[in-house]
Order: sequence, then C-alpha cells, then structure tokens
Amino acid sequence: MVDGTENDIKPNGNYSSDNNLLIDCKNVDVFYGDKQALYNVSLGINEKEVTSLIGPSGCGKSTFLRCLNRMNDVIDSCSISGNIKINGEDIYNPHIDVVELRSRIGMVFQKPNPFPKSVFDNVAYGPRLHGKITDKDEMHHKVEASLVRAGLWDEIKDRLNEPGTSLSGGQQQRLCIARAIAVDPEIILMDEPCSALDPIATAKIEELIDELKTNYTIVIVTHSMQQAARVSQRTAFFHLGNLIEVGDTENIFRSPENEQTEAYVTGRYG
Amino acid sequence: MTEHIVSSYDDDLKEISDGVINMGDEVLGALNNIETLLKNNDHELAKKIIKNDLIINDLGQSVENKVFNILASRQPMAIDLRIVFSAVKISLYLERCGDMCKGISNRVLKGDLNEAQSPETISLLVNMCSMVHSNLGIVMEDYSKKECDNSVKVWKSDSEIDSLYSEILMDILNSIKTNPDATDALVPLLFIARYLERVGDQATNVAEETYFVVTGEDLEGLEKTEVENETTF
Ligand SMILES: Nc1ncnc2c1ncn2[C@@H]1O[C@H](COP(=O)(O)OP(=O)(O)OP(=O)(O)O)[C@@H](O)[C@H]1O
Ligand SMILES: [Mg+2]
Repeated sequence: MVDGTENDIKPNGNYSSDNNLLIDCKNVDVFYGDKQALYNVSLGINEKEVTSLIGPSGCGKSTFLRCLNRMNDVIDSCSISGNIKINGEDIYNPHIDVVELRSRIGMVFQKPNPFPKSVFDNVAYGPRLHGKITDKDEMHHKVEASLVRAGLWDEIKDRLNEPGTSLSGGQQQRLCIARAIAVDPEIILMDEPCSALDPIATAKIEELIDELKTNYTIVIVTHSMQQAARVSQRTAFFHLGNLIEVGDTENIFRSPENEQTEAYVTGRYG
Repeated sequence: MTEHIVSSYDDDLKEISDGVINMGDEVLGALNNIETLLKNNDHELAKKIIKNDLIINDLGQSVENKVFNILASRQPMAIDLRIVFSAVKISLYLERCGDMCKGISNRVLKGDLNEAQSPETISLLVNMCSMVHSNLGIVMEDYSKKECDNSVKVWKSDSEIDSLYSEILMDILNSIKTNPDATDALVPLLFIARYLERVGDQATNVAEETYFVVTGEDLEGLEKTEVENETTF
C-alpha cells in the first residue's frame, strides 16, 4: 500500500510521492474552534487519476476536500496547519491568489446548486468571473463544449435560456460539473455528487468521471463502496479524523490491510 | 471479524459456507466408501456412491443460487467478497471430486475389479484414497474454521500423493511386463489411480482458496517468492 521509497512513509502509514503526484498533503491538522476534525493527515493524490475518500459520516472527508481549494477559509472557526502542495506549490502560502487557485480547482457538491441564472449563464459564470473569455462567440463555444463534455448538451441545447434550476436533479448535477470544467481546472473535487441521483443519472455522472480523468485529477467523496470501486484508482479511508489506509482501490476492496477499513467496507462498522 | 450491522447478512454468508461444508462432508463420505469399495469390490456400495453424487450436485447448485442472491442483494466487499467468490470455486472443486468418485464407481460396476489379480496394487490404491481423504478432510476442516495453516501444509505435501501415483503406475506397468496375461485386469486400475490423483489436486485447490479467504493473498505467489529467496542463499 505504500508507494515510493521509505522516506515517503508517513507516521500514520500513508503514502505520497509518485512520479505523477499532483497534490501532496503532509501532516494536515484541521480544527473547528478547539474541536479537531483532522489529525495529521498525509495523503498524496496522483495526477489524472480518480481518488475516492470514504469513511463514516463525520470522519472529515468534506473537511479534507475543502482544504484542497481553501474553501475552509470562509469558515471563521476553522484553522489549518500542515502543508498542502499542488504541483509543488504551497497553496497556503500568503502570496497565493485564492481566486486564481479556485479557478484551477473546480468543486461539485452533494446537492446540485445551480445559480439562479439561465443554463447558459451558469456555465459562462466562471470564465466571465476570471476574465478568461470576453468574446461572445468564444463564450458560446466554451459553454457548448463544457455542456458536451458534461454529457448534457444533447438533452438541453434548446433550453439554454431557461433557469438552471428548472432542470432535473441529475441534469442540474451535470450542469454543475459543466460549470466546474468551464474554467479548465486541473482538479475537480466532488463531494458525494451522486447521493441525490437515481441510478441512471448516477451512471451518467460515473461515465463522465471516467472520461474526465484523462484530462483532470478528480477527488471524490462517496458513501457508496461500489461507486468508489467503480470510478477510482485509489481509495483513502478516513475514520474519526484520521487517515487509516490508502491504497489501490482494487486492494482496498479485495483485501484491505487495516481491520478498521475491512470492517467499514464490509458493513461491520458500528 | 465482528458481525455485520445487518445480521441477516451474516446468516446469508453462513448459509453459503455451510453449504460448502456440507458438500465437503458428502465428498469425504464418498471417499470413505471408495476405500471400502476398492477393498471389497462391493457393487451395491458403488451404486450408492453414484446416487449420492446427485446430492453433491444439488448442494453445489444451492450454493450457486445463494451466491447469486447475495451478489445481487448485498454486493459483498473485501473478506465477504472473498468468502462468496471462493465458495463458488470450492463448490466446483468438490463437485468435480464427486464426479471422480462416481467415475471410479462406474468402473467398478463395469467389473474393473472383478479380475484384479494384484492385491498389492489394490492396497496401494487404498492407501492413496486414504491419503486423498485425509488431505481433503484437513483443508475442509480449515475452511470451516476460517484457518489456513494446515491447508498450507497439505498444499505443500501434494507431491506425496503425486509420488504415490507414480509408484502405482510403475507397479502396474511392471506387473504387466512380468505377466502380460494380466493386462486386461490391471489397466483399469490405472484409471482408478488417475481419478484419485485428480481428487488430490482438488484438495490443493481448496487449500489455495481457503488461504485466499483467510489472508487475502495468493498461495502461489507466496510459494514462489519463498523459493526465490531460498535460491539466493
Ligand atoms: N463548519 C463547521 N463547524 C464546526 N464543525 C464542523 C464544521 N464542519 C464540519 N465540522 C465537524 O468536523 C467533523 C468532520 O466533518 P466533515 O463534514 O468533514 O465530515 P464528513 O466525513 O464529510 O461527513 P459526512 O459523510 O456526513 O458528510 C465533524 O465532527 C463535524 O461536526
Ligand atoms: Mg461530507
């Protein structure tokens, strides 16, 4: 389960450092006020791979995910220590432009949250905000391309001016994914993106994840073991704020090394 | 391992393992009968073994049905997945053992032992049968206890059965050479030896599966690395 050399082994037995390591988290502690939510988490995430985060409710998956695009900054009580590098760059360095950072890291939430705007404007929002595209034709092209990539274009190309909120739940979720990829992020964070979706919509999102991973690095929180097994190459198991085990997804679901992991993935936790 | 949060999941898994264990008991019973059969050329017993093979097949079918249901309804993971997956494989191995026992019985019914003039060869076959019985008994015992130490021993000692098998072949061939008139009586014994050897192979297959269930690793892989380490010394 440990990759690389001895030096990569962290106190809590995690791995980091691979040829294609993109996100490198070392000894990350997170507190909400004086309540600790993450304990010394060290986790490496490889480029152009899907990594799933699994673990019981409240174990810190969303907290960890939010560390990666500094979304925790907006929570007043939240404090973070440790080190998170993306492409070798410390994202908590005071000189970092957080808006620019977030443009490189798209996020998709559990509940689809389209803006109260048209389908078109939902997708165009990011590129406009970041001043990436000003030309009208170019913007049209971008919106179309993003919706195509999100597997939504054919279904809604005649409804671009309708409110995003008028779409079905599964369509809204794919709209949010289109919105996330419209700014050409390197990384897409997904927090239980399918938990409100039916099996068909879920399958479409999973198909999309499969396609996206050729260009993007994806970190997905999921409560479905089967989904983690289907979509991800690596899986990390969290428990009570600790990273317990990380490894190739296949091994986690075939023969995990840690008993707590085994108990959780087999439904014995409790 | 502790129990599942959903206790009926434990019941379902136990039913599957119990089905495999029952199959094992039936096959061990059949091997016991084969031993007697070889000693006594008992045709009634041969018929009984053939009839019992249907029971073994039914048990196998029932394991398969339960596995279907548990895969569809629970999508087992990790240790559970290993248990379910290996139940399918072990039940197939045991079914094959049943077929071998049936094969031997059929040969006996055809009169293969009627003219046997070689009590020494018969007694070698009886020894082989009892070795195979013992090996299968050990691995099934391990399986039922979710242990694997003794299975590893059986797995490593399979060559003993193989060498007994070679010994029997040589014995039969030599007898044929010295007494060509006995050829018709002796050749059928070759087939019986071959059947028993194949049952022995199934015992090592079961050992591999049990090892996989318990450790999550391949017995093959383990052996290879050990051997490699030895050769570097
Ligand atoms: N904004 C917040 N303020 C205070 N405590 C928080 C906040 N957000 C999370 N926590 C606490 O931090 C811990 C980890 O929460 P987090 O949301 O990261 O868990 P999770 O693994 O995502 O759970 P779930 O699967 O239920 O979404 C929990 O104990 C939670 O109560
Ligand atoms: Mg969460």
